[in-house]
Amino acid sequence: MSFAAFLGRRAAHSIFVLLGLSILIFIIARIMPGDPARMAVGARAPQWVVDNLREQMHLTEPLYMQYVYWLRDALRGDFGISLVTRRPVAADIKEFFPATLELALFAGIINGAGGIMLGAISAWQKDRWVDNVVRVISYLGVVTPSFVFAILFLLLFGMTLNWAPTMGRLSQEITRPATVTGLLTIDSLLARNPAAFFDSIWHLILPAVALALGGMSQEARITRSTMADNLSKDYIASARALGIPGSVIMRSFLLKPSLIPTVSILGLDFAATLGNAFLVELIFVWPGMSRYGINAMLRKDLNAISAVILVLGVVFILTNIAVDIIVARLDPRIQLGGGRSE
Amino acid sequence: MFAKRCLWITLSLLVVVALVLPGCAAPTATPPPEEGTPAPPPEATATPPPPEATTPPPPEKMVFRATFAWPTYIDPAVGSDFSSTSSLVNLYDTLVFPNTEGGVDPHVAESWDVSDDGLTWTFHLKEGITFHNGSELTASDVAFSMSRMLEIGEGLAYVFLGTVESATAIDDYTVEFKLAQPSGLFLISLIRLYILDEEEVMANIVTPGPYGDNGDYGKEYLLTHDAGSGPYMVEEFPLEEYLLMEKYDDWFGEFGENAPDVVRFIATTEAATVRTMMSRQELEITDQWQTVEALEALDEIEGVDIVAFPVLTEFYYMVHTRKPPTDDIHFRRAIAYAFDYQAAVGLEWPGTKQSEGPVPAICAGHNPDVFVFERDLEKAREELAQSKYADQLDQYPVDVHWCTEVPAEEKFALLFQANMADIGIKVNIVSTPWMSMVEEGGSEESSPHIQTTYVSADFPEAGSLLKVRYHSDAAPTWSQNEWLLDADLDQRIDDALATVDEDERYAKYRELQEDIVELCPSLFLYDQVQKHAVQSYVDWPPARGEVIPVMGYTMFAPIIGVTGP
Repeated sequence: MSFAAFLGRRAAHSIFVLLGLSILIFIIARIMPGDPARMAVGARAPQWVVDNLREQMHLTEPLYMQYVYWLRDALRGDFGISLVTRRPVAADIKEFFPATLELALFAGIINGAGGIMLGAISAWQKDRWVDNVVRVISYLGVVTPSFVFAILFLLLFGMTLNWAPTMGRLSQEITRPATVTGLLTIDSLLARNPAAFFDSIWHLILPAVALALGGMSQEARITRSTMADNLSKDYIASARALGIPGSVIMRSFLLKPSLIPTVSILGLDFAATLGNAFLVELIFVWPGMSRYGINAMLRKDLNAISAVILVLGVVFILTNIAVDIIVARLDPRIQLGGGRSE
Repeated sequence: MFAKRCLWITLSLLVVVALVLPGCAAPTATPPPEEGTPAPPPEATATPPPPEATTPPPPEKMVFRATFAWPTYIDPAVGSDFSSTSSLVNLYDTLVFPNTEGGVDPHVAESWDVSDDGLTWTFHLKEGITFHNGSELTASDVAFSMSRMLEIGEGLAYVFLGTVESATAIDDYTVEFKLAQPSGLFLISLIRLYILDEEEVMANIVTPGPYGDNGDYGKEYLLTHDAGSGPYMVEEFPLEEYLLMEKYDDWFGEFGENAPDVVRFIATTEAATVRTMMSRQELEITDQWQTVEALEALDEIEGVDIVAFPVLTEFYYMVHTRKPPTDDIHFRRAIAYAFDYQAAVGLEWPGTKQSEGPVPAICAGHNPDVFVFERDLEKAREELAQSKYADQLDQYPVDVHWCTEVPAEEKFALLFQANMADIGIKVNIVSTPWMSMVEEGGSEESSPHIQTTYVSADFPEAGSLLKVRYHSDAAPTWSQNEWLLDADLDQRIDDALATVDEDERYAKYRELQEDIVELCPSLFLYDQVQKHAVQSYVDWPPARGEVIPVMGYTMFAPIIGVTGP
């Protein structure tokens, strides 16, 4: 299957997935307890205010009609007004999504680089003390939730050692660069503002590491086991018998095919981070979409809930497509669109 | 080879990180430029002043930072919670200002008159007050602000709806309010009428909108901008992050000697974050939502004190008076005698006191002489024996719904359950999300036997609480689970609220409190104490009891003194 055909097919599949997802989240958001209009205007607002808002939100219409209105507007990029922030949800997403994306990207880089490196060391030093240490660290990383790391880092590096910033994306005294991408690191580079660039990186370190450690440990475990498995294969023994240096065997024959499961999990981890970062965002006062989404759910902000989940769905789909492409590049025997070449 | 290289790279990275971390932290060792310090103009960098220039450095700006539960709405017609009102009192001015006696002092209004029938209130405004954009505050702005609030109906509009019929500017400095009925609370309620610049709001409306010709009535604009004349003005407001306000030097009022130049309200209540910020002196006052355990940890930080002061809030066990078995007054009295109030108070912050009746002691018009229930199992059993359900207790378990969002309420519910077991009453404890509580309160049938809720008075006066707690109008709302539906009580509450003479009104409040206690519709647990951790370099008058703790006004920055860090 050609690359274009692969993309076309995946895009077509994605439309059905997103449609199904939209119906699901639409129904789930509406069966949650509590009247969203009442929650929006407050417990003491007179009933006519609640009724007016219900009418504006089409909540007085049958459920299927509400979905039709929602879908019609969503296709135009209009996700309605957030009941919490009181402004268009699209504007909220535009503001909060880049913050979470930047955090997830940094976490993903730490996760991938650290996980693969630790896994490779562990596999190459299999059953030696290095392997044992990495394994213990990996187990700890896997079983410890990211928010525990976040609190630990905050108290250790923020409070006790006073080394790192503890809140927000930028220090108070740093001028915020003009928004182009919403990613402060990129925007500060575009604005040629090195102070903002380094400051934003500095703010990213603790939350990104807290988010990455769990996934990194998992990646290390997967990389180790796949590499250890491949190490016992005949082609590695042949390469060794031919006198090929160990570093070449590792780089050219062992690492590349062993990365396939790691990359697949890494992709899923990255997409999941966007939705699961809320506690870390809460602890570091990070104005991200994950925290926004959770607040929306707690306050039954129907429009925001639907939009956030839809955005996460799109990210999952795009990440999966990207993973498929990377995996096909890593192992030419794997064909885009499924199957293996002979 | 490869593995060794990887090992070396990892170790090198760790060393680099170890070296870089403290290196990067170095700037924090010397105090960073204060928030809001103006950057030097570009010309200054192009032509630096000669070394011998003796231009004094700009004075250091003092910053006041506090954490809050978000969201914060700075639109006067939308905001109503603690963080919103704390922002509004700093951004906007009001006709009158609450004083320490529970009354009001002139503010934007220099005087006022009321007609003999109590239906027409005329306010005479001070001249020369300017909004942040420089235009003058006039009577039409006041009338506009009231009309806008009534038409939108959200936020704190409920304090005026049903009372205020119209607001009219008589001339530039005279505004007249027509009331639907006389109201003793009208004057104090004006501390919630934040005055907007009509011209600025109308220049920023979005059309079409839900308010006809007024479009969205400037709601979108006022989400992130202010149109006020208050002591501070919005500098920056990234939603969900913080609200940054700068001092308005042309404010008509008087700033305290050490009033902050910059006020920053931060959107977090996360205990670990707050604790870290306090220890780094990046925060002056914590929010009020820190748990007792978190406050104890904060108290251990050098230079941080815990302050606590009573507020206009009381913690009630609201007992349904129309649902078996709590419809029987003897059953209700049995419950009231069986509950251990002192144990409940002991679960709270030191200094918390058991409530004396349905109104917190700090409210004007509070009656300190009402009967106060204390745990007495003998009397509880006597009352229970007189109840028509005495022989069928097994068939009538009592449901207690506590608010899921306030986990501390559970321990009181468990105490109640244990206390009631002593007299043979079975209690089911149900954790209930707040919005479910609001929905349950909508009908007599869905309301539980007991709902545990904190209720705050809107104003420091007994009547405002008696109305929302025991008047029939409030029965189908979360603020009254009792379902008293007592026409005589309603009439007397209305009469008290309509009494313009203060002494006469307070006397009526006191009688009402006695009679309500007689009906035993609620358990009055304790008057809430608001707790904050405060840096020692902050002088905060509410902590000394010098400010009546009306929601928001405790964070009125002009009276707060900051001399550090």
